[in-house]
Amino acid sequence: MSRLQRSGPLALLLVVLVLVAFPFYWMLLTSVTPREALFKPPYRLFRLDFSLGNYRELLFATEFARYFANSLIAAVGAIVLNVIAATLAGYGLTRFAFPGKKTFAFGTLFSYMFPPMLMAIPLYILFSALQMRNTYTGLILAHMAISLPLNIWLMWQYFQIVPLSLEEAAWTSGASRLAALRQVCLPSARPGILSVAIFSFALSWNDFTFAFILQTDRKMFTLPVGLASFVEQTGVHWGMVMAAAVLVSVPTFLLVFFLQRYLLSGLRTAG
Amino acid sequence: MAFSVRLEGLDKRFGRGAREVHAVRDLSLEIGEREFFTFVGPSGCGKTTTLRMIAGLETPTAGRIWFGDTDVTALPPQQRDIAMVFQDIALFPYMTVRQNIGYPLRIAGLPRVRIDEKVEKVAATLGLSDKLAMKPGQLSGGQQQRVAIGRAIIKEPKVLLMDEPLSALDARLRVEMRTEILRLHREISSTIIYVTHDQVEAMTMSTRVAVMDQGRALQVDPPRVIFRRPADITVATFIGTPAMNIIPAVVVTTPAGLAIELLGRSIPVSARYHAALQGLKRVEVGLRPQAVRLMPPAPDLITGRVFLREPLGLEDEVLVETADGTRVKSVTAAGDEFPEKTVVGLEVSPRDIHLFSSDSRLALCYGIQ
Repeated sequence: MSRLQRSGPLALLLVVLVLVAFPFYWMLLTSVTPREALFKPPYRLFRLDFSLGNYRELLFATEFARYFANSLIAAVGAIVLNVIAATLAGYGLTRFAFPGKKTFAFGTLFSYMFPPMLMAIPLYILFSALQMRNTYTGLILAHMAISLPLNIWLMWQYFQIVPLSLEEAAWTSGASRLAALRQVCLPSARPGILSVAIFSFALSWNDFTFAFILQTDRKMFTLPVGLASFVEQTGVHWGMVMAAAVLVSVPTFLLVFFLQRYLLSGLRTAG
Repeated sequence: MAFSVRLEGLDKRFGRGAREVHAVRDLSLEIGEREFFTFVGPSGCGKTTTLRMIAGLETPTAGRIWFGDTDVTALPPQQRDIAMVFQDIALFPYMTVRQNIGYPLRIAGLPRVRIDEKVEKVAATLGLSDKLAMKPGQLSGGQQQRVAIGRAIIKEPKVLLMDEPLSALDARLRVEMRTEILRLHREISSTIIYVTHDQVEAMTMSTRVAVMDQGRALQVDPPRVIFRRPADITVATFIGTPAMNIIPAVVVTTPAGLAIELLGRSIPVSARYHAALQGLKRVEVGLRPQAVRLMPPAPDLITGRVFLREPLGLEDEVLVETADGTRVKSVTAAGDEFPEKTVVGLEVSPRDIHLFSSDSRLALCYGIQ
């Protein structure tokens, strides 16, 4: 193999890496650059005037911590409820015959195709009537409305590859249906459950539409809405916005970092 | 103590309307305590469905199932005191061999120490002692099946159900595991109900065999009886390798009494079978290939031409075509005698000629001497 053939893919990889990683690097760099230094030429790729002033200001002078907590509560709530509902629904669709099953399954997928904006207005009216605006429950339910259909579909597919005889072996060993589901089916469907968790998290964590429309009370803002409000103020404090962006990406990063092993093993079994 | 298992008018239909499948039809039989009972038949004959109904994994459309004096028809599998070995082995992939074998005891809520103790004992009988820490994926097919059997016998079930447990294994292992299962049957006190499509497994392992076809039990008997006195043509051709020759024959009346005309030869039928042949014009003759001997052609023998000769090692399978185009199979000692295309005589002892009714296909008599 010639040098060129070997270095060709490597060069391509490098280009892609720069494209993906540079914004991230720029975000980190900006977040630790003091406000005074940010707009002072020359604008260099490498700067050394390191400061945590932006972070200090973000955490103590703004409502960032509250937005962060709100986002976290919504995301965790969405993960837990999505996993429980999608697992049970997926199992039910796989193992039980009931009238209208096909219609239900396709209806589920169909409902996933509505853009969030289309549902946001009806939900605003509905939740106003139910007094569920500006509540965590309301926001979590709204996030579930978007993520649950695909999650059910996903778990349905996952349970279909768990052989029925595994469960039957558990039943004839004396295990109840629920015990068999927990001890035999769930471990086999674990990559699916993790996919559901990550998808639910990502959707809830990144959601702007629902949070913006349903959470009108400043105290109930989530991160995407809160961050946007930083930009709307008279001057854009880029250092602080970037510091916020860094902190927002930390949970996502941690989640994927710790779960990637399971996700990849799921890909391997599915492939 | 094991249970006897009694099936009473068991019936199972799947699906509805035009797509309905009548899997098991009005099946009644009794399986004794500690018996090794085998359901054998071609695929789709209803044998697995029957086993699954005994396990409680399928609900019968009609009929009852009794374990001893208890009607278990409505009980779920968890309450039946059974264990089952599955065709696809069905080990829990995320558990170790130790956890797999111990699973039924864990469900029963036994303390960890007791479970470990029993698992080690079972693993020792099955030669799995050094495999306990492994996951099923790391084991060979035979070892996996041993683990599945271990999981089934560890709680000493009253009834042990086995659904084609050896079909996933290669031929050599299958023979080995057959011996192993037989040894287990002697050592444990369970009633074993076994399902297979392999007649050799059925014949070598069982105390009694039910030959099934199209949802019905055609014959329920010990293996030797099934081989020697098959109840009808289906059983006769299903059991025994190569399959029994079935050749149409005509019943004729001669001055000496009744006779059958088989491939141009007239063979007298002993007077004690005359009643069975009363009023019949045509019958089907059943001849085991082992009972057909090849001879040099002679006037009093059926003659034919060797059509195909397949060496099997010790013996050869020879297909002979007679003048009217009927093909008769014979099993004969391996050798160069009577190569393909030579003319031969077929010698058949009247003792080996079984007669079946052409209409009902039921056996009329075994041997006509």
